[in-house]
Amino acid sequence: MIRRLLAKRRFMRDHRFTQAHLSDYVDGDLRSPERERVEEHLHWCPECRRVLESLRRTLMELMGLRTPPHESFAPSVIDRLRRET
Amino acid sequence: MDVAARSARRSAPPWHPVHDGDGRRPAVTAGINHEIDLVVRARAGDRDAFERLVRLHADRLYAVVLRVSGDAHEAEEVVQETFLRAWRNIDRFQGRSQFFTWLYRIGVNEARRSQERRRARPQSAPLADAETQIPDERQAPQARAESHELRRALEAAILALPLEYRMPLVLRDVEGLSTAQAADVMELGEAAFKSRLHRARLAVREAVDHFVAQRDDT
Repeated sequence: MIRRLLAKRRFMRDHRFTQAHLSDYVDGDLRSPERERVEEHLHWCPECRRVLESLRRTLMELMGLRTPPHESFAPSVIDRLRRET
Repeated sequence: MDVAARSARRSAPPWHPVHDGDGRRPAVTAGINHEIDLVVRARAGDRDAFERLVRLHADRLYAVVLRVSGDAHEAEEVVQETFLRAWRNIDRFQGRSQFFTWLYRIGVNEARRSQERRRARPQSAPLADAETQIPDERQAPQARAESHELRRALEAAILALPLEYRMPLVLRDVEGLSTAQAADVMELGEAAFKSRLHRARLAVREAVDHFVAQRDDT
């Protein structure tokens, strides 16, 4: 009984830790013991796995928003610089 | 250590313009050295050198500000003001950071001021497709429509973030700056920057999840 209570408490601590550090985890910014703690928790927690998966999908989509400009914006800046300075 | 030596120690951003130089140096190093040379000359009052810096950075800076403001006219104004301010204050650039992070910092502050000025005005609609979207002809029509809708949902979610959370997300996750570079632009410590970035990502993630759940229901 006590053992189960302690295991549940530990699980919740790891859950909060994982939720707070998922960004660092996907960015590869966690050091070894922290990374292992997150990975261990991810193994047991479907909710955190779901968040991780959707976080990764979101980051892919965000990267896809980056597009090259259609036309150079520099000439209008240079025009204004020449006029005002 | 002088401006050139300090700046040369830092790496270029992913879109940093690359010049072959004399062909004997690695292209990226030559590109950095070329920019440092332009900065040194601009600091000495050479406007032609500064105009070349404008050509190197204006388009990328415009993309960042447009993504932050969601308004093409405002972004144009902010970028012009940024370069005017940078030219007037170029002697204050000490080379403690890369030139582009110094420039982006001015841009971010200018965007902040601009947002404060228009705070009373209604929120902009998400960015118009013509300004940002490159159609992917390889996608089937239905997939293209879904991708288009997801993109609009993402853009709306980004614009719904408070500015102080929107900026880290745009700089790091859309524009691809490193955490250190983006934190430098925002003048934040890395821990504070990461905390804002994480919260911004989670908020935008919810919008993506919501979109995916709705799509799967239909």
